Amino acid sequence: MEQTAIDDAKPRQRGGDRPVEPAVELLDICKSFGKVDVLKGVSATVVPGETVCLIGASGSGKSTLLRCINLLSPPTSGTIRVHGQVITAPKVDLNAVRSRIGMVFQHFNLFPHKSALDNITVALRRVRRMSRQEAEERALAQLEKVGLRSLASSRPGSLSGGQQQRVAIARSLAMEPDIMLFDEATSALDPELVKGVLDVMRDLATSSGMTMVVVTHEMNFAREVSDRVLFMDSGVIAEEGPARQLLADPQTPRLRSFLSQVL
Amino acid sequence: MGDFLHSFFDIHQILHVLPTLLGEGLRNTLIIASLSLLLGLTAGLLLSMLLIATRWWLRAPARIYVDIFRGLPAIVTVSIIGIGLPSADIRPFGESPMGYAILAIGLINAAYIAEIFRSGIQSVPVGQMEAGRSLGMSHLTTLMLIVVPQGIRNVLPALANQFIIAVKESSLVYLLGLAVGERELYFIAQQAQAVSYNSSSFVAAGLVYIAFTVPLTHLVNRFDRRMREGKRPTVADEPVGKEPLTPVGAGMEAGA
Repeated sequence: MEQTAIDDAKPRQRGGDRPVEPAVELLDICKSFGKVDVLKGVSATVVPGETVCLIGASGSGKSTLLRCINLLSPPTSGTIRVHGQVITAPKVDLNAVRSRIGMVFQHFNLFPHKSALDNITVALRRVRRMSRQEAEERALAQLEKVGLRSLASSRPGSLSGGQQQRVAIARSLAMEPDIMLFDEATSALDPELVKGVLDVMRDLATSSGMTMVVVTHEMNFAREVSDRVLFMDSGVIAEEGPARQLLADPQTPRLRSFLSQVL
Repeated sequence: MGDFLHSFFDIHQILHVLPTLLGEGLRNTLIIASLSLLLGLTAGLLLSMLLIATRWWLRAPARIYVDIFRGLPAIVTVSIIGIGLPSADIRPFGESPMGYAILAIGLINAAYIAEIFRSGIQSVPVGQMEAGRSLGMSHLTTLMLIVVPQGIRNVLPALANQFIIAVKESSLVYLLGLAVGERELYFIAQQAQAVSYNSSSFVAAGLVYIAFTVPLTHLVNRFDRRMREGKRPTVADEPVGKEPLTPVGAGMEAGA
């Protein structure tokens, strides 16, 4: 995995040839909903600063795998390590773990009864125990970064989908997470609003060196921004590799047929 | 026809009883209704939290409570508490029946309000809880700060409706025999009828109830309609074309 990542041209924070402690390690993750096995033994590693895209048809298990990483959907079996800590162990402080892992949802999931600013400050105050002033300053700074500072007092309902998603990204980033998870962040957006959100994500991956796991149907984003792509099919990782190589030269018939349908 | 008008719409009888109804009666009716609603809201909110608990041993007692108090006719509950408790020498409110009445109607309210809150809380999309949890907030914090405020907003009309029901149920207190000064609407009417053998006092009390509940009902309906029509756009029907306010990708340069 390390080998394949080096092929990529994009610079990234890594310590030469020394093995880097992975940001996320998934070991033999299985997940069943009742009798339906959604994940059937998935193992993967994400190194710090890396952007990994999860692609695959709907129902292939990519969203479920993403939701396992912050235990929104705890795996049925398997081990997950985040920066060395086994978070699937009993008695782990889940809230502390989750506060270091940002998540962006397909449907934004902003809190509709709170302004954009308050959407961001609520966790800063409750989880990070910041004062109101401190939290608001940081929230405004994050809104500035996604180009929405002027809409800080707007309720989500008066924002476009693209703006809402950028607020949601700002809300996650304000927690200063080590890892960001994106669950089809642009799938619910009208086509003309997609670019603004992808630009924010691209900027985050390239300039900030954020560790990112991105479930996406945007093949161009996967090709241009991600270091590696994991192709999921029927609950397993069917193929993986550097983004350009994997998308240009798929090895398995399943990925070939998937790409022929989406590209 | 003259008899009918005399029996129900004797203007002298109505004018005779109306000052007491409006002064003493309405005040006490509203006191009983408001305090029992307050008790119902507090206990109901707690019960609703238990009703949606994942652990069965938290859910079960709340479910049993709600089933019992919704299943009993109000008059039975009022009797058990208002007559039963004092005669068993349990007198937390002394001799005055007001406290018992408020307790009884409050406990009934709690059962209905618990169900109202439960449905309201469960109507909040699960993504709200997930968003809160993914930010590192605890289940309880997310429930109290994110989910419950939205759930309550969804059920405000139903809660107002429950207040109207409490106003009407407060009449059951007559069972407990109220002293002068703490009589509510119905009891005053009933005493006046017992003296005069004329039903116009019932009609007068009815008019006071209606003068209060009907406008309240319409106010609630209007509020409900406004909430529905003014409902904020959802993902499906979001306002398109607002985006140009901030150019797409604006701030990227500034933010980088």
